[in-house]
This record gives sequence, structure tokens and C-alpha cells, in this order.
Amino acid sequence: MKKLLVLGMLALAGLALAQPKVFKGTEPGRAGGAYRITSISDPRTWNPFVARETSSTDIIALFLPYLTTYDPYTQAPEGRLAKSWEVRNNGLTVIFKLREGAKWSDGQAIDADDVIFSATVHADQRVNSNSRSSFILDGQPIRWTKVDQFTVRADFPKPYAPALIQGWYIVPEHVFGPAYRAGVQQLQALWNLDTPAAQVVSGGPFKLDSYVKGERVVLVRNPNYWGVDERNNPVAYLERYTFQIVPDLNAQLARFLAGEADTFSAANADQVAQVLERIRANRLRAEIFPNVDVTLGTNFIVFNWNNKDSFKENLFRQVKFRRAMAHLMDKKSMIEVALGGLGQAQWSPISIPNKAFFTDDVAKFEFSPQKAAQLLAELGFRSKNRDGWLVNAQGKVLEFNLVTNQGNNVRERIAQIFRDEARKVGVKVEYRPIDFNELVRQLTSPAADGTRDFDAILIGLTGGIEPAFSRNVWELNGSLHAWNLGTGGKNPAKVEAFEVLIDTLMKRGATTLDQAQRRQIYVQFQKVVAENLPLIYTVAPAYNPARLTRLGGMFPKEQINSINGQAPYIETIFAKE
Amino acid sequence: MFGYVVRRLLQLIPTFFGATLLAFLVIQLAPGDFVTRLELDPTQDRESIANLRQQLGLDQPLPVQYAKWLSGILQGYLGLSLSYKSDVWSVIGQRILNSMVLVVLATLMIYLIAIPIGVYSAIRKYTWPDRTFTVLAFLGLAIPNFFFGLIMLFLAVWLSDLTNMRILPIGGMTDEFLHLGNMTRAAQILFPPALLGTLVFAGMFWWRVQRKQTATFGIWVGLVLFGMSALLMLWPLLQGPGLPERLPYTESPLWARANNVLWHAFPVVIVVGTSGLAGLMRVMRGQMLDVLSQDYIRTARAKGLNERVVIYKHALRNAVIPFIAGIGGLLPGLIGGAGLVEVTMAWPGITPALLEAISAIDIYVIMGLITITTVLLMIGNVVSDLLLAWVDPRIRYS
Repeated sequence: MKKLLVLGMLALAGLALAQPKVFKGTEPGRAGGAYRITSISDPRTWNPFVARETSSTDIIALFLPYLTTYDPYTQAPEGRLAKSWEVRNNGLTVIFKLREGAKWSDGQAIDADDVIFSATVHADQRVNSNSRSSFILDGQPIRWTKVDQFTVRADFPKPYAPALIQGWYIVPEHVFGPAYRAGVQQLQALWNLDTPAAQVVSGGPFKLDSYVKGERVVLVRNPNYWGVDERNNPVAYLERYTFQIVPDLNAQLARFLAGEADTFSAANADQVAQVLERIRANRLRAEIFPNVDVTLGTNFIVFNWNNKDSFKENLFRQVKFRRAMAHLMDKKSMIEVALGGLGQAQWSPISIPNKAFFTDDVAKFEFSPQKAAQLLAELGFRSKNRDGWLVNAQGKVLEFNLVTNQGNNVRERIAQIFRDEARKVGVKVEYRPIDFNELVRQLTSPAADGTRDFDAILIGLTGGIEPAFSRNVWELNGSLHAWNLGTGGKNPAKVEAFEVLIDTLMKRGATTLDQAQRRQIYVQFQKVVAENLPLIYTVAPAYNPARLTRLGGMFPKEQINSINGQAPYIETIFAKE
Repeated sequence: MFGYVVRRLLQLIPTFFGATLLAFLVIQLAPGDFVTRLELDPTQDRESIANLRQQLGLDQPLPVQYAKWLSGILQGYLGLSLSYKSDVWSVIGQRILNSMVLVVLATLMIYLIAIPIGVYSAIRKYTWPDRTFTVLAFLGLAIPNFFFGLIMLFLAVWLSDLTNMRILPIGGMTDEFLHLGNMTRAAQILFPPALLGTLVFAGMFWWRVQRKQTATFGIWVGLVLFGMSALLMLWPLLQGPGLPERLPYTESPLWARANNVLWHAFPVVIVVGTSGLAGLMRVMRGQMLDVLSQDYIRTARAKGLNERVVIYKHALRNAVIPFIAGIGGLLPGLIGGAGLVEVTMAWPGITPALLEAISAIDIYVIMGLITITTVLLMIGNVVSDLLLAWVDPRIRYS
């Protein structure tokens, strides 16, 4: 009896200590139910230090905690495992307070030791974690130290805007520590796909229940999770979360149409129509939101300013030439033909869904073959030769090669539409799809003399919320400064004034902490890029999410966006039936 | 004979080295490596890219990389997958077995259907049935498998609309939950017909034995099919009453899992089988026509032998020789997977994994699969030659 009393007291003390995170859902939910989605490929590992692709990290994110992320309603930084933070030292130091009472699924406390250990391993050069870039700023390390059991401190070499976004995964030190001390190889071998699911410790809303290769990953609710809803009920609401692995998009659609998957993102108008038709025929209780947003990725054409051919190099460096090329992009047809009728034109580098930084108020060189022809005439291409190609006074034909990666239907069609329009005004574009890896080699590997062997490439980059994370593209010495690439990490030999301006803006944007000022900086950056077109943007594919009506806690239509998807938190989704 | 086998086996060693070296070179000659795709990630800097290359040993000269891989192979170790960071065998082993389910079933189906039809077409050439079979065979050959797979999926959705029951599966190999109650109910309904069918065929078999005749091919097939289904049904019935209505797949009894996999395999096997059917059917028909025009068949008929005996005893025996020889060639096909249909119908076979490995340039996974296939191909060739010697008295190895 006495023992029981003591235990009860201890439990109460524990409760008093616990500082759970309150997850504010879109509506009050109730516990239970299952959530089933399809995934295009298998995970590769459960180990966050090894994971390099979303098929792994989408699942790891459900069972490993991280300090902070973006608030799904406001895009401001939001604490997860960190309950609060304090910025000191003119922004050079951030002190994160952790939630006391948070536990791993095996009952051990989640504390500063786990956080510092994870930071150490992610930053370790020998581990090559995908998050390593979160621990280096302009070649200098970001130092993480433990203050006390529930406080950690990060010291930055210079002020850093995204300092409050620390989304790298935290692992249980008592599991990974011994392996790490035994060597990097042992650490990387931990938690591979053959590890029994019960051994994978969770500190997130779900924990791994079972995995059948090529078939499905099943996660179940983690009862030890440190989250509650607004009425202080524990979350996640869902009892079971299943990833069904379906490598083919049409087969994914079939599963959704049969009611075996709860959500689906339609790739084109045709798939949207199939879902709609089924909903109207009362065969499926679902909703679909066509073109509610566009995806974060971008597609653009880049011209090579380090060309072996000096005639082409000089041509590509002329802003008039690049504007003429922009005028030759029939973005309406690109959306119709390449994206199946759903998508939006893009004019500048920041993705359209990224409302915190995106501006539509930029220069737009809309589709106009006449204006293109006029600009080319100003560059000296006034007459056509016998074959109908534009030539200058010396008889030089205006021609270049355009490549994109084979097998990407969207890009192949965009490239073909551009080529056809260009040929109509007499620009001789030779288009050819090539192997993706060869394309990357041409783009990123200059020869010893600094030249690269391509004329124009149509390629895309994945977008994100934080513009500072794309510094490698925009800063002069960046490894993806694709139009004008320096050798060996140095600045390009010959730069234009606007490139220097972009470089300055990017550096300022990354080190300014005030949000309003940052927005101004990035708005100016978008204007400069849209004016000068170092990359000529094309069109962004639409985001067309669909879901079964049995789900609760989802965003209403006006709040759906491609950054967070159809719900603010996975924790507050629930099954209505 | 023994000397021949030893010689053949010794010849395999240089062949193996040559084949794997060639495969290695081809993979390495293709542009890019495992790290290339990361170079387009704006958050990765030059230094970590270079680090990763060095750590994975991708910066070493080709001969060194090949020698390292080879020394692993000779110890029976296929290497470490670059993206899974675990043993290549653990990545592909289970998937090869999954593919085998399809390939074995499809092969059985092809042989069981193609040989009788081929024989029939040969005997009654240029009749309506022969032409119909030919057209159907070529249709099956002409429709690409992946497309046929998609049609199957939508047929499954359409059927479930029509009946409000899951008649056909919508892709995959297993269900997350098995409804054991439904299975035992289905077994209760289907067991009597299966038993009846078995008894009928057993009766026919017995009747022919009484009249000193051998059982026909059709009787054998019927007996096997009905008998197998009756046995399959008996299993759930024996365990039936005490089972819960619904269990997760991983906790279900073996018979229920086997049933579930077979049910999922059914449409996929149809898709895979139809394409192989056509070729085999035509080859069988051609072989049979070839043999039927031989002198000894004329002699047999002249002796007044029953036509059935002529066809099945004299002609068929010689017509199937190329098929016997082809059995060795089936070995590598067993682990090669069933092709793109595995992707479209979400079958967790080796094809999706191989495609992913190729697009990520996970060298050791690709090499591992090539190695296993090469070894099986070489063994298969030897087996084929030995079988041929055994079946065809005109061949002598000495």
C-alpha cells in the first residue's frame, strides 16, 4: 500500500513536470482509426544519419523528434521538442529549452544528451549525414553545447536567419551512442530495414509496427508521445498509419478510387476527372481540390555563359537575348500540353506557394514572338538565310542546342514547345533529351579552362520554404551557380553587375533576422532575377490533392497548400468513421 | 560423360570473370554515379559531395573497385548496398522470392496451356479453332504487359463497383488485414464442388486403368487442379471455427497468407502468362508439324496404329525436345522477375527494386543481381545440354 502511494506521488510529480506540446487542430477529434496512404517507393533505412530520400524521411519524421519547424498556419518558427527559445548575443546565440518529461517509447527520458549527441553525429564529416549542412555556415561550424539536462545552446559564427529552424532528427543516445563510439560503420549499420520493428525506438507521434518489403510500412500510435490537443487529450488520435508501397501512379489512383487509400495527389487533369466522375456517381465519398496550389519544384532553362564557343558565350551574356528567349515561351501551351491543363506560369525564383517571401510584382516577359524577333534584331539578327534561320551581318546563324533529362515527360514537352516556337521566328534550336547523370555532369563539372560543354539545359530544382537554403544557386561561388560557374569553389572569371547584386542580396537575406526586412530583401532579389533572367522560369505543376471524407482534422479548401498538404498536423488527423 | 561435365564446369570460371567484369565496366561507363543526383541539391556543398564519394569508395580507380567487389564475391558476400547501407542479399533476397511466385505460376500456366493448344493447332491446322488461337496468341503477345496490368487494375475496380465485393485484388501481393471468417465461409461453399470434381476425375482415371489405357493429359490436369483446390479448402475448414474474424497479415496462419498471395497473384499471372503463351504455342505447333511430316510417322500410320498413339507416343515425344532443352534456360528467368507488370500492379518483386537501383546507380545491388543471374544462366546451360543428351538419343558427349 505504502509502495503504491509513493508510486502515485511519483507519477503525479511526473505529470506536474510534463510540458507537452499543444497541437491545435482544425477541429476537435477523437481517438482511434486508421490512416492509409500510398507511397511511390520503399524506404531505404530507418536510420536518420543514412537516409537521403523522402521515401525514408517521410516515415522517420513520424517517429523521431526534432527541435523546431514551421508553424503550419503562420509559417513562423514553431517549437516541437523545444518548448521555447531565447536569442542572445545579437543573434549569434540561441538557447533552446526542451520539454521536460518527454520520453522515448522505451521509457527513457528525451533530454539534452540526446540532442547534443545527434547534433554531433549529424555534423561529423565521416558520417556524411544529409543534414550536415545545418551545422556549417560559410565553412565555419555551428557549435552545440549542453547547458543543463533540458537546455541546449547553439553558437553561430555569424547571425543566421534560419537559426530557429532546426529540423534535423534527434535519436536516442542510449541506442546510437555505443555504436558511434565503436565506429561510423557500426553507426550506419544500425536501424537498417532488417532491424525488427520493435527495436526501433520512437520519440514521435507514431512508432514502427511492421514492415513488409515492397508492400507496406505500418506504424502505430506511440502512447509515450509528448503531444496533447487543446482539450489536453493525448495525440496522435490515429491508432494506425499505413504506407502502402505502390510504385505506379495509375495504380495509386486505382487504389484511391477503390477507397483503399485515404489521400491522393492527382498528377494531371485526366486523373482529376476520373476522381470527380467517381465522386459524382456516388461511388466514392471523397473530395478533390484541383489546382488549389502549385508544387514547390521549379523548371527553368539555363544558358551556359562559360561556353567553348565565344560567339555563343557573348550572345548568352546579353540580357536582350535572354529576354527574347523568355518571350518565346508559350506558357499557356506548356500548361495545357505538358501539365495536362493544370498549373501556373512562373516568373521568378521563389516558389509560388511560399507566401512568406513570394511576390508576383516582378517583370514578366510574356509570350510574344514579335517582341522576341525585335529584341533579336537589336542584337543584329535582322535577316534570314535560305533555310529560314536568323543570321547576323557576318552570316552567323542563330543556333544552340537544348537538352533536358530523358524520361521526364513534363520537361520533354516543355522543351519541345519552346523549340517549336523558337524555330517559328528563325532561331535554330536543336533539342535532344539525354541521360540525367550526363546532364548533371555537363552542368556542374567545368573543364580545366573553366568552360562547360552545353548551350542550354532545361532542368528543375526542388524548392523549399527557406530562400537562404538555395544560396548555392545564387551566390557567386555557389556550386549550382548554373549559368556562370566558377572552378574549384571560386567566383566565376567574368561576372555581370546584376550577379554581384544577387550575391549581396542573398548574403544579406541569410544574415538578417527581422522577418519584414527579410521579405523586402527577397522581393528585391526576385525582381532582379526576373529582370535579368539568369534562369528563365517556365511553369509550375499544380497540386491537386484529394481525400476521403472519412478523415477529420483536415484543412478546409482555402488553407490547403503544397507545403503542408491537406492538414496542419498528422497528430490531429482523425477518422470520423 | 563425367569428363565432359568437369570440363564444362571448369569453363564456367573464366566465363564468370569475363561476364562480371563486362557488367561492371558497362555500369561504370554510364555517366554519373550514386552521388551525382545529390549534386543538384542546393543544400549540399562541394565538400560533403566529395566526402561522400570518398567514403563510398567511388573515387578509387576502377580496377581497385572491381578487385574489392570480387574479393567479397569469392567469400560469398555480394557487397553493401550504397543506399540501404545493408547487405545486398537482404535487399534483393525476399524480392527474388516474391518474383518467383509469379514466374513459377506463370510458367506452369504457359506450359499447361500452350502445349495442348499447340498440338491441337498442328493436328487441325488452318481450321477455325487454329486460326482463333493464333489470333488470340498474337493479341496476347502484342499488348504490352504493363498496359495489360493497368487494364487488369481497372477491371478490378469496375468489378468491385458492380458487385460491391472485392472479386479481384487492386495490386499488391498481400492485404494488410485478412478476413479469415470470409475465407472459411468461402471454403465451406467451394469445398464440396472441388471434392466432387476430384472424385469425378478420379473415377475417370480408374475407369481408364480398368480398360488398360493410360490416362489422358486432360484427366491428369483435372485431377491435379481439383485435388489441389480441395486440399487448399480443407485447410481453413480444419482450423475454421476458433479463428478471429480479422487478423493482421503478419499474424495470420500460413494457409491464409498463402491463399491471400495466390489470390493477389491470379490477375498478375494472367497478364504475365498471356505474353509468353503465344511464342510457346507457335513453337509447339511448328515442331509438331515438323515431326508429323517425318517418315517414321507415316510408317506408324501405315502399320495401322491408332491416331492417338501416333500423335502422343511417337510425334509428341520428339516434338517436345526443344522444350526440355529450354528448361535450363528458365533458371535465370526465375530470379529475373516478371518485368514492368510488377511495377504497375505493385507486386513487390525484383523489377521495381532493380529499376530503383539502376536509377540511383546503386552499383552493388545491380552487380549482385547480375552475378546471380549469370551463375544461374551458366548452370542452366549445362543442365540444358545434359537434359538434351538424356532425351535425344542422337546426341553423345564423349
